[in-house]
Amino acid sequence: MRAAASAIIAAFVLCFSVASGAAAAETGSDVGTLDKETAARAFPAKPPYSPYAGRSFPTRPYFGDTHLHTSYSMDAGAFGCRLGPRDAYRFARGEEVTASGGQRAKLSRPLDFLVVTDHSDGFGFFPMLLAGDPKIMADPQGRKWSEMINSGKGAEAAIDIVVSFGKGTISKAILPVPGTSAYRSAWLETIAAADDANAPGRFTAFIGFEWTSNSGGNNLHRNVIFRENGDKARLTEPFVTMKPYGSDNPRDLWKWMTTCEEKTGSEILAIAHNGNLSNGRMFPIIESFTGKKIDRAYAEGRMRWEPLYETTQIKGDGETHPLLSPNDEFANFERWDKGNLDLSEAKKPAMLEFEYTRSALKNGLRMEAELGVNPYKFGLVGSTDAHTGLTAVEEDNFFGKTSSAEPNPERATHPWLKAPSGAVIMGWEQTASGYAAVWAAENTRAAIFDAMKRRETYATTGPRMVVRFFGGFDFDAKDAQSRMPAVTGYAKGVPMGGDLSAAPAGRAPTFLVAALKDPIGANLDRYQIVKGWLDGKGQIHEKVYDVAWSGGRKPGADGKLPPVGSTVDVGNATWTNTIGAAELAAVWKDPDFDPSQRAFYYGRVIEIPTPRWTAYDAKYFGVEMPKETPMTTTERAYTSPIWYTPPGAKKAG
Amino acid sequence: MKRILREPLLHFLVLGGALFAVAGLVSRGDRAGRIVVSPGRIESLATAFSLTWQRPPTASELDGLIRDYVREEAAVREAAALGLDKDDVVIRRRLRQKLEFVSADVAARAEPTDQELRAFLEAHPGDFGVDPAFTFRHVFLDPSQHGESLARDEARLLAKLRRAGAAADVAAEGDPFLLGHAFDQLPAREVKSQFGDRFAASLDSLPTGRWEGPILSGYGAHLVFVHERIAGRLPPFDEVKEAVRRAWAAAQREAAIEKLYATLLRRYTVTVEKPPPGMAADTSFADTAARKAAPPEMRD
Repeated sequence: MRAAASAIIAAFVLCFSVASGAAAAETGSDVGTLDKETAARAFPAKPPYSPYAGRSFPTRPYFGDTHLHTSYSMDAGAFGCRLGPRDAYRFARGEEVTASGGQRAKLSRPLDFLVVTDHSDGFGFFPMLLAGDPKIMADPQGRKWSEMINSGKGAEAAIDIVVSFGKGTISKAILPVPGTSAYRSAWLETIAAADDANAPGRFTAFIGFEWTSNSGGNNLHRNVIFRENGDKARLTEPFVTMKPYGSDNPRDLWKWMTTCEEKTGSEILAIAHNGNLSNGRMFPIIESFTGKKIDRAYAEGRMRWEPLYETTQIKGDGETHPLLSPNDEFANFERWDKGNLDLSEAKKPAMLEFEYTRSALKNGLRMEAELGVNPYKFGLVGSTDAHTGLTAVEEDNFFGKTSSAEPNPERATHPWLKAPSGAVIMGWEQTASGYAAVWAAENTRAAIFDAMKRRETYATTGPRMVVRFFGGFDFDAKDAQSRMPAVTGYAKGVPMGGDLSAAPAGRAPTFLVAALKDPIGANLDRYQIVKGWLDGKGQIHEKVYDVAWSGGRKPGADGKLPPVGSTVDVGNATWTNTIGAAELAAVWKDPDFDPSQRAFYYGRVIEIPTPRWTAYDAKYFGVEMPKETPMTTTERAYTSPIWYTPPGAKKAG
Repeated sequence: MKRILREPLLHFLVLGGALFAVAGLVSRGDRAGRIVVSPGRIESLATAFSLTWQRPPTASELDGLIRDYVREEAAVREAAALGLDKDDVVIRRRLRQKLEFVSADVAARAEPTDQELRAFLEAHPGDFGVDPAFTFRHVFLDPSQHGESLARDEARLLAKLRRAGAAADVAAEGDPFLLGHAFDQLPAREVKSQFGDRFAASLDSLPTGRWEGPILSGYGAHLVFVHERIAGRLPPFDEVKEAVRRAWAAAQREAAIEKLYATLLRRYTVTVEKPPPGMAADTSFADTAARKAAPPEMRD
């Protein structure tokens, strides 16, 4: 094994030396002639002491949040958020801050990066409203909200603001719009807060905003992230949905992004979220704006600008749904499926297929066969979408969706949203999730952004487990025992987010998977691979395989692995790591592979059961939870997929 | 003009007789006084107009602006005299904001000397300094792989590693470990984030140049060989000057606000009466006053 590792290292060194040699030759004679002796000094036969020195591949994942609101978002402000972008970055860097409600708050450990993404529509509206800006006070609607907030009816004002925004009935006179000085100053302050908090190598503070397309209360929201610094971002202002300044159609967002890149010289990308609240519009086959089938231009736009999807957050988990994945016993997880964002329209089962990650990945295969481009070829991240300025989603340190849901005895038992139809989302339904993990070579804006673009990312529901997922045709069982799985993984395959094609005759894809628990979290139950594929008749399928698990369990006659058990003491909100494993690793070969069929594979890592945030609340506040409240959870991670495309099959079908 | 102004006021007088009686005493001077619109004021009215409309006002527009200003001035004086500003949350918040903003802005705008910045850097080495770092190798033992024999396996492995010393082949011993077995100058904050606080603290106290352990992390047990412990250091001043200046300005702003309230509150005797039943305040006013004084993030 040692020999094998050395051989791989040698192969790597050789690759680098050949590449560098070629580059040197191309740059001309001013660097001198590369003779054998010089080369030998530059590339000594003995590998460096540190096995990672000279490697350009990522050795650890960086954890962060790509989606956080502050008081600059009008709804966040209405719900009582008083923390701005500067507080948000300080908190993410591990400092203690005072939450809007007055409680002290601190993360268990710093995050590595954060994007503050305030709503671009009405950017900075709330600080203006709070300050009693004359323009707002002169408007009946603005005056009404201001008075509601000042008389302690902030939560009602917030709902009214969110609903009015969803219906597009916010008075045009009071929303700061691009081109006005109020709008510009809010954007410039957002940029300055990010630039000041950004510390390359230690903490990355991205510049970003949320484009909140919400027509009819149907969630098509996207977060937009800039790769470069403020000097570039200042050359533009965020894209809004309000006409005539902007549009609620993603195609127009992509057009704006094209222009923005040209104008600013900064690459940008967009990440959509909460398909579960889009009522069948997030991953369409029929475009909701035109009623026509998705065409190639849409597919190209989406693929060009949206390399990632936020699959888990406080408003529910979006991997899959029990009705879509009836054979997946982990599918029923933190479901939000009562309706769209404002519950103005109830959910129908037929909508689900166009809302969830797994079904979108599946439909993408078929659409690629028809269009030649897969619109839904995205990687995965999780993020919070908290509206508190606090990226706090650890189960024992959950600061809620909005400032009114910061820890307090009633937050779980009060309705979070009540619709006129009578539908209710209860406070306890909030999900303490998630974070984005990015395999970047270093902690900088450029490195993390580039890793996002190549989809080398995974989503977690909060814990910081380390997850590797490599695909190739040459992995064998002993690679799982490798001391440096990354060296083997990158040498023999592609990482998460990558592509496979041209299977050698008679060979099936193999996957090197490994996961390490969060150093302060729970042990791991199992590592699964989820496969989706398109058969010769144009039918799409999915299957979940258990590939590594703890504690000598054997799959039963039905092929299912028995549950890992539970050590959770709900009353005391504790658990022990006496079950599960600290680390899981395996090599898995697809037993059902057909080289002529398109497929994707992604990893899912499940933790042993732990107390849910509702259990910590019940213990701390001494309150009784409604009996339907889940009190335990199984945290998890979802990797970006690896796709298999038959050679020459781009346009087949 | 004065007559026009007085009309709505008269209206008000009828409605609020008693209130007026008190207010009238206070504001008699104002109402007996004059409203003077100076050339400077006229210029600033015209400038504000130009900023909005991108052109200077015409003569009649300027006349309108002046007329409106006079109304505003009179209204503001009368409203203030009547105490209408007293219970208005928006005005109170705005006044507080302005006071805090003025205090903070003056402090942050002062141009620091290099000497001040150097002193700031030395006082906050953690914010700018290069972390201490560790070059170490380790062998991992996964408790779930060893069960009852964990302690025995640790002892046997430690003895073996000690015989081999620095040359021990970590890649061949113990259990696989996803983050790797050898780390070159890993900063302390990275040790914490990858291995947890407990491991980082243990690592800091280990002697260098020999195999030690087991030391524990959230993953399990580790046998560790620390090759080198590199002390933290402060980078040269010029390298970090800009970052120090930003942090200095932020600190000045914060300190100015704190100082403002410390000075202000000395002038007052604060009495917090018992909250109504069922409303518990669990910290004393003295504890929270300073913290609560920090303003919410707000642009002017």
